[in-house]
Amino acid sequence: MVANRERRVIVVGGGLAGLAAAVRVAESGIPVDLFSMVPVKRSHSVCAQGGINACNEVARQQGYSEYQHFDETIYGGDYLADQGPVLEMANWAPKVIDLLDRMGVPFNRTSEGMRDLRLFGGSLFKRTHFAGATTGQQLLYALDEQTRRYTSEGKINKYEFWEFLWPVTTGEGEDKRCVGIVAQDMRTMQIRAFRGDAVVMATGGNGLIFGKSTNSVICTGGAAARCYQAGAWYGNPEMIQVHPTAIPGADKCRLMSESARGEGGRVWVPRKKGDTRRGQDIPEGERWYFLEEKYPKYGNLVPRDIASREIFDVCVNQGMGVFGENQVYLDLTHKDPEYLTRKLGGIMEIYEKFAGEDPRYAPMRIFPAVHYTMGGLWTQFTPGTYDPSEPWGDHKPGMEAPTDAKPGRGMRIGAMNNAMTNIPGLYAFGEVNFAYHGATRLGANALLSCIFDGLFCGLGVANFVNEGPAAEAPAELVEQKVYDAAVESEQAKVRKLVDSAAGVGEQSDDVNPYMIGRELGIEMTAASTVVKTGERLQRCLAKLRELGERYSRVKLSDGAGWTNQSLSYTRAIGDMIVLAQAIAKGGLLREESRGSHYRLDFPERDDTRFLKTSVAVYDPSDADRCRIDWRDIDTRLVKPRARTYGKTESSPDAKTPTEKPAEAAAS
Amino acid sequence: MVAPSKPVTSKPDEVKPEMGRTVRFTIHRCDGPGKAARWESFDVPIEPGSNIISVLQYIAAHPVTIEGKRTTPVVWDSGCLEEVCGACTMVINGRVRQSCSCLIDHIAPRNGDEVTLEPMSKFPVVRDLWVDRERLFYNLRRVKAWVPIDGTYDLGAGPTENPDKQETRYKLSTCMSCGCCLEACPQFNLEEDPEHWDSAFIGAHAISQARLFNEHETGKQLKRDRLDELMGPGGVSDCGNAQNCVKVCPKEIPLTESIGAMGRAVTIHSLARFFAGKK
Amino acid sequence: MSNEKSSAVAAQHFLLRRLHSLTGIVPIGVFLIAHLTTNSSLLWGKIGLRGEPGPDGQPYTFQDGGVAYFWKEVFWINSQIPHLLLIEITLWVSIAFHSILGWYYATTGKSNVKRYPHQDNWRYSLQRWSGYIGIFFIFYHVATLRWGWTWLVPSGTKWSHDYSVSTLAAALQGSTEGWTAAGLLVSLFYFVGITLLVFHFANGLWTAAITWGLTVSEAAQKRWGFVCAALGVGMMGLAWASLYGALAVNPQDARVVEEQLLESKGKSGVPTPTGRETAAPADGD
Repeated sequence: MVANRERRVIVVGGGLAGLAAAVRVAESGIPVDLFSMVPVKRSHSVCAQGGINACNEVARQQGYSEYQHFDETIYGGDYLADQGPVLEMANWAPKVIDLLDRMGVPFNRTSEGMRDLRLFGGSLFKRTHFAGATTGQQLLYALDEQTRRYTSEGKINKYEFWEFLWPVTTGEGEDKRCVGIVAQDMRTMQIRAFRGDAVVMATGGNGLIFGKSTNSVICTGGAAARCYQAGAWYGNPEMIQVHPTAIPGADKCRLMSESARGEGGRVWVPRKKGDTRRGQDIPEGERWYFLEEKYPKYGNLVPRDIASREIFDVCVNQGMGVFGENQVYLDLTHKDPEYLTRKLGGIMEIYEKFAGEDPRYAPMRIFPAVHYTMGGLWTQFTPGTYDPSEPWGDHKPGMEAPTDAKPGRGMRIGAMNNAMTNIPGLYAFGEVNFAYHGATRLGANALLSCIFDGLFCGLGVANFVNEGPAAEAPAELVEQKVYDAAVESEQAKVRKLVDSAAGVGEQSDDVNPYMIGRELGIEMTAASTVVKTGERLQRCLAKLRELGERYSRVKLSDGAGWTNQSLSYTRAIGDMIVLAQAIAKGGLLREESRGSHYRLDFPERDDTRFLKTSVAVYDPSDADRCRIDWRDIDTRLVKPRARTYGKTESSPDAKTPTEKPAEAAAS
Repeated sequence: MVAPSKPVTSKPDEVKPEMGRTVRFTIHRCDGPGKAARWESFDVPIEPGSNIISVLQYIAAHPVTIEGKRTTPVVWDSGCLEEVCGACTMVINGRVRQSCSCLIDHIAPRNGDEVTLEPMSKFPVVRDLWVDRERLFYNLRRVKAWVPIDGTYDLGAGPTENPDKQETRYKLSTCMSCGCCLEACPQFNLEEDPEHWDSAFIGAHAISQARLFNEHETGKQLKRDRLDELMGPGGVSDCGNAQNCVKVCPKEIPLTESIGAMGRAVTIHSLARFFAGKK
Repeated sequence: MSNEKSSAVAAQHFLLRRLHSLTGIVPIGVFLIAHLTTNSSLLWGKIGLRGEPGPDGQPYTFQDGGVAYFWKEVFWINSQIPHLLLIEITLWVSIAFHSILGWYYATTGKSNVKRYPHQDNWRYSLQRWSGYIGIFFIFYHVATLRWGWTWLVPSGTKWSHDYSVSTLAAALQGSTEGWTAAGLLVSLFYFVGITLLVFHFANGLWTAAITWGLTVSEAAQKRWGFVCAALGVGMMGLAWASLYGALAVNPQDARVVEEQLLESKGKSGVPTPTGRETAAPADGD
């Protein structure tokens, strides 16, 4: 019976990580059930614009290497990431690019037909591969196409418009294992349990907790929050990346890719406070290129957190924002319009479409917005073979190409616990995995981490099912009542919400889920994004307790038993509040500044106390329903050094002659 | 090409939007398949920069019609809100487009202006403005819109490609499966029975995707299968050349060129089969 | 669906589609050009007969010249072209094939010009409507002037080769004496019919180039569009000239010229088509 049993793997989420995992697992011969709230082709990965990082031959011959890529990622993440997984990701990056290339991704080409490269934040080498200005979309489509191929061959079964509700687990303590999920069809509202020998969560970030972010409307973090409430640990919740350049809008903030800076975009404000002239009418000498002046080496290409903070500082603290509002110019008008159309067509179009101005002739107005969740479900890994006693030195052009040098493996390939949460059988891939980006993520590394997880850690999932605990005790043999109970529990929650709608006559804002959601967003954006203080976070936690209390009395505005979006949204709000509490509490307890986490009251990095992963554990008995544990970080390969990106002093009055450092460094 | 010397900031003939105005939104609603449809109107105060999404969000939080009747929030499909995922496609003032990129300042600049919202008509309605576009994705399967690679293990780089070809393929590859081209196409019509999907018109998007993969060095492997499908019932010859597809495509994909290119390909394919006995 | 079966179905579907497209051009379109060229001689016939004296020795007037030239054309076609019946049947079969299939294809679409009032979309709709109306028109045209279904002709006139112009004019104008109300309706129907058919052909030629893959790029499609439009305008000129020619001539005046021509043919010993009316083609109506 066990020999020819039906094995299945469940993948939740159809973005890059989920699709890469589904394809990898299906390829290894295990049928996959793929769940997504949207048709997978519409997943949030489509929004990634800039590119995907990987060491390449050109950069290699200039002294760059996978190790350098690893080092940049660690340095960018302010040493908060375990170094093994990051090293392995960097090692695999060129392979990932090759694979995508074979899948037909239309990467931009040189005249010889090779893959073209661009410069991106956080590096002095051209190491970013790109497909127009919609790289994420192109990569997702390539994986979507492969998924479609496997679907037509019956190896992947897609459940689109199904919402993940809860992981099904058996056993307690050591024996606890994830054996399936409960999900709901968003159209028929049917709730069903699905058996799976392993469950891969690839559900992305939680930007919607912050109200207007650059994320898609599906990025509530609800799925991760549900796993967290089911006992999965949540790592570095306070690490939220704010993208320095977004277009503020009425419904969301739209990303203006870092490639706008990579292609020579210059950030500035008028030197005169409250200048009423249009940006294009202000002469060169009256513009304050504050990033170029403060960071002569990296200039406009400083990492995101630094750029966000500087823009925030210039606008909020110094009141130098354009037209006195919270916005600065991101200027590309000095570039050839046709070149811009060719290289950045997609994002030029976005700005024109959503802001109504042509960025080829008028400088864009931008401001930081929540963009990426570095934190996520806490995951494990099996270290590889690298030798920490021999860290690599810097390579210089002309030195022996480091192609042969073997830095060793950061993670053991095929290990079953790679990217596995603290609950055996429950994996977290992609953005929902906390592992790779530490305290802030380098541009064009997200796509890489998603696909790397799917491909590399996907092998561990297959091994878990074929040879691991799932082989010994397959989900097929788990008693039906375990699943029935899980379904019943979810149905009870739904009943409670739907019944609340029956009384809707006059719905006060107090218990209106949309109002609670809006207040949550405003509060979290104000308290827990670019600049945080202990006092503000305390108030934030109090507000979250209030929202939690109001949520317990929430009244649904729609009691329909068919395609009830209101139910889905309201359910997510409850989970978002729980996760927000972990985010705020993590931020409060981390009394230091590191990467994207900047505490005004603790402006320095404190490696003695906080070179540690904050691990949130769901604890209903706590006032904030959250306990934070601290876990040591593996930093054996790269020793922490100050993360300044070569900062110097600059003020609006000083007129330092500036060159464009990015291009100078790249040539 | 000479760049315009004067900075272009906005269209001169554009009506300057009134501040603090209210716009009436009339929405085609339906509670589910087989349920009666109805119209409901809402007056919505417009903030600067509002789009259809922010209006629908407002209505969700304040679901009260102009008659003062409390109703349910409107159901609609949305995703990225940046016009790259294709989810929020609907018929606005009679014309199909993405609702996220539809600025109220552009379509209703004056106080009291009216806007109608309807679901796409070529797909079955799930509820209100949300339609089931499964057939659209099914049609991608019909043309085997993928590159048949040997697997996901590391086997080195893909084929090199000259930049011109990359530019052509990239443009085709930006298709986000939104369905605008199908909604506007007089040859593509509602077909609720999946049994008939194989013989009903496949649509411009799928024809264009067939071209995308036929152009790829490895994708070519499945060229014959794709052309066979495009020769058959519902294939490229069922196109009526109304050319609405290319006019409503939000990504400005040259769909009619793809149709011409695939027309040529099937002509050559059939001649080769006839004269050379190729399968 | 098995691959082999789908392949066969595909080939059949494809063949029918392409035959439909092809028959529209050859033979139907080619015939249409010839037909309109011949018929429009009613207007430009005097130029064709320049330098030739009429039967009475005087130069032709414009009207008489048109009548005479047209008459001669009809005479030539019916007496000189071999296997006329075979050609005619081929044509009828092609038209029937193109019509039936076209009608079926047209029903698979749903016009939406109201929502998408683009020029191309209008042409899409017009292509279908011109097809529907064109089928009726061709049927009426052939039935009345070729098959002799005189009960459909207001004047009851039966078209004849010997009196090709006068019978034609009478059939269109409503009586042998000239205009009647019914004749006005028939003429109007002719105007609409020939106009739509010329459009149908020119536009069909444009779409066929895309269907067959001759024009791929937008620029090529545009260029070919101008060529088709020019051809269409030219043909429209011929079509309207033909109709004008048939409507401007008085049947009785035409009869005089025809009698003279018949007489001169009789003198020269060339056999007239009289007596072979039913077997001869409808060319020259």
